[in-house]
Amino acid sequence: MSQAQGIQLGQEQGGLVSRIRVTIARRTEGRALALLILVAIATWITEPTAFTAWEVTLGRVALIGLVALGLTAVILMGELDLSVASTLAVCGVVMASIDNLALGVVAALAVGLIIGVVNAFFVVVVGINSFIASLGMLFFLRGAAFVISNEEPVRLASRDAGIAFGKPFLGPLTPRMVIFIVAFIALQVFVTRVRAGREFYAVGGNREAAYDAGIPVRRRIFTGFMISGFVAALAGVINTLERTAADPTAGSTVLLASFAAAIIGGVLLTGGRGSIFGTLLGATSLGILQVALTLTGVQVDVQNIVIGLVLLLAVITDPNSLRTVVGSARSLFQGRSGSHPVG
Amino acid sequence: MSENPTTETTRQDAGGRAIIEARNVVKRFGGATAVDDVSIEVAPGEIYGLVGENGAGKSTLMRVLAGILTPDHGSVVVDGRELEAGSTRAALEAGISLVHQELSLVPELTVAENIVLGTTPVQAGFIKKREMKKIASDALEEIRVQVDLDEPIVRLSVALRQFVEIARAIARKPRVLILDEPTATLTPAETDYLLDMLERLAGQGLAIIYISHRIPEIFRICNRVSVLRDGHLVDTVSISDIKPNEIVDKMVGRELKQELETSRTKVAAGDVVLQARGIKAPGVNGIDLDVRAGEIVGLGGLVGAGRTELVRAIVGADIKSAGTVTINTDGTMRRVNSYRSAISHGFAYVPEERRTDGLALTMTVSDNIALPNRSQLSRYSVLMRGKIGTFAKELADAVGLRPPEIQREAGDFSGGNQQKVVLAKWLGRKPDVIILDEPTRGVDVGAKVEIHRLVRDLAEGGTAVLVVSSDLPELLDLADVIHVVRDGRIAGTLSRDEADEKSVMSLASGESQVRGL
Ligand SMILES: Nc1ncnc2c1ncn2[C@@H]1O[C@H](COP(=O)(O)OP(=O)(O)OP(=O)(O)O)[C@@H](O)[C@H]1O
Ligand SMILES: [Mg+2]
Repeated sequence: MSQAQGIQLGQEQGGLVSRIRVTIARRTEGRALALLILVAIATWITEPTAFTAWEVTLGRVALIGLVALGLTAVILMGELDLSVASTLAVCGVVMASIDNLALGVVAALAVGLIIGVVNAFFVVVVGINSFIASLGMLFFLRGAAFVISNEEPVRLASRDAGIAFGKPFLGPLTPRMVIFIVAFIALQVFVTRVRAGREFYAVGGNREAAYDAGIPVRRRIFTGFMISGFVAALAGVINTLERTAADPTAGSTVLLASFAAAIIGGVLLTGGRGSIFGTLLGATSLGILQVALTLTGVQVDVQNIVIGLVLLLAVITDPNSLRTVVGSARSLFQGRSGSHPVG
Repeated sequence: MSENPTTETTRQDAGGRAIIEARNVVKRFGGATAVDDVSIEVAPGEIYGLVGENGAGKSTLMRVLAGILTPDHGSVVVDGRELEAGSTRAALEAGISLVHQELSLVPELTVAENIVLGTTPVQAGFIKKREMKKIASDALEEIRVQVDLDEPIVRLSVALRQFVEIARAIARKPRVLILDEPTATLTPAETDYLLDMLERLAGQGLAIIYISHRIPEIFRICNRVSVLRDGHLVDTVSISDIKPNEIVDKMVGRELKQELETSRTKVAAGDVVLQARGIKAPGVNGIDLDVRAGEIVGLGGLVGAGRTELVRAIVGADIKSAGTVTINTDGTMRRVNSYRSAISHGFAYVPEERRTDGLALTMTVSDNIALPNRSQLSRYSVLMRGKIGTFAKELADAVGLRPPEIQREAGDFSGGNQQKVVLAKWLGRKPDVIILDEPTRGVDVGAKVEIHRLVRDLAEGGTAVLVVSSDLPELLDLADVIHVVRDGRIAGTLSRDEADEKSVMSLASGESQVRGL
């Protein structure tokens, strides 16, 4: 009836090609994928060993990526967790301080969860901005790691277990890699197929709408911080096992690397946009890059410069930022100062 | 379409047993009382209108009904039973569904996910995709709108988003459907479609509460109407017992001067101030445009025709792929290459998406108004506080901000009042060229008259004015010349004498050839 009035609301479903185009346009990982391909090609030409020695590369990706995966859960909700690296350190120290290995692992993971709960408590109940709350935790936990460990690395009681843990056990895969893959799959499934995880997007993308729709926003934020705390603790456990000792200074580069992985992967820091898969792509780019640069003998400082450039490249190629950049560049060349496309 | 047989006959009249009641609801924000002892009741099958000026408390009352806000006093009663106060769950379970004034969808989630948001069907925590899509497609079917269920909301037009929101409300199988200014962003054709739909739904026994600033819409579909003013319920009347101008009088509490009808004294148009040539941008396929000093040029057309894209390209807010824009003042011609150069050359641009583009919600109204006017308000680059206050106050009064408290955060104001703040901040510049995109969307009738007067004053002062509006009466009332845009091109140009609703609409929809107009 009224449809015959001819108001046009829906759009036509196109053929296969346009269907594929639409599918691509809908994803947020496009730039991350393009960047990964770019990095891979450059690496292939200059330092193909990074691929032939792929176990090394995969190990590096797992190292950088695990914490980033957990962190992504929090960022999707528009919150930040700066305490992940300190969590990693303190959980490692807790684990190594307990003689019984199994008990130590359980304790470490529990501490990770508790840290997540405390973070969320400050954010949700007390109402502190998550940047500040988790910044406080960052210092607190790092200090705690030093106090518990008496400021020196704590030896793991069962060294054999640690040594065994560093060895491949599933084909060429070490337990670290397997855990990383499992964590990726679990989180990917969680934010795409599980209702609670899917609602993270609502909490980050339009919090008011989430509240109005009756989504338990506070509970979701608790879940997110607990995921991030747990995953950081898991990374701490893995580190401790592989090194057969827990170092209170551990993970100093982890924080920035995981944020970089998420951002390169297209995760929006203000929440609501991005994916676990994107973070995986981001971590993979970073991992390949680091291994390739190390193999070519580039110093760590210079590596950081390269990573910084890649990060900026990833961010400015975002369609929104790109528009700003092109606009500014244009007016610059036409002899005018920058432009700000806002109303 | 009004010959729909089911509606007029089956719709129950007022006086039927109420399904939902607000009893003596009071809601305060800080010291201010937004809703003051208001009681209303709505029967199944009834379409109940709610009108009032910006800030009258309409949205607040509806948010109380939907359990989003906890009333300070009073209660919401459904089927004779009192609802748990301030619980969205309880309201949803009782069958109350609210379509918000602001779009409240999640941008990165899909149409289907948004429709079931908060009520996603799950099995052991996992989303039941098939069932979710079934619910979504049923709801869309119910309102007869076609849209790809897997499309993320960000990729939809504003109108489609609005319909997705209505689908979400429908998917909750409501017994009471509340719509808060649903037509503010819709074209006349889409509005028609929506109103027909609501009549059909009411015919099926749904109770509908309908908020709008457009009085004709109220008269077309509502059985009864309540008027709110400053949080008080002024009156509730049956629609057959009242005339449109009486409603308006009740809203503003005085007799509104019939300025709506006063035609504009034609100003001798001056030189061409704004000249756009061959503008191309996404959605714009080569448009030439001139605006003279003292002239008001209107851009008509359907939503999505490319008008917003055109003006954004002209001011440099978006990149244009081709074309030039020049501004010609004091005998010098200057190219506009970027948004910043546009502003420094005397442009003012009031964007369509005011909440996101035009307003810093956590800053005070006063600071928001001062923002683009810093140079006038500072000496040696130091802002002069005192001057800002008086400057902002004057402008806030001019646009009729309610309440007129310029030291409050912009985010605390009602939807329509936020629009006024954005307008005020640009009017203060006395610009050479002003571009207004939907200047009175969501603004009440009284303020609309004021804003129109301000725009005319600007033109009389020599400003070149370019107005985009989907509100046809507004366009016809304001513009000296109307360019009708369709598919990114100018489909036709109508002078003030030639333009009427029919001629604009037929150009806009491209039916002119068919009808031989
Ligand atoms: N969150 C809030 N904090 C403080 N004041 C508020 C808040 N929400 C609304 N108000 C105030 O309550 C009053 C009523 O606002 P409301 O949004 O209900 O108006 P409205 O009738 O819907 O207006 P409009 O037509 O502009 O949408 C206004 O004075 C507004 O400033
Ligand atoms: Mg409102």
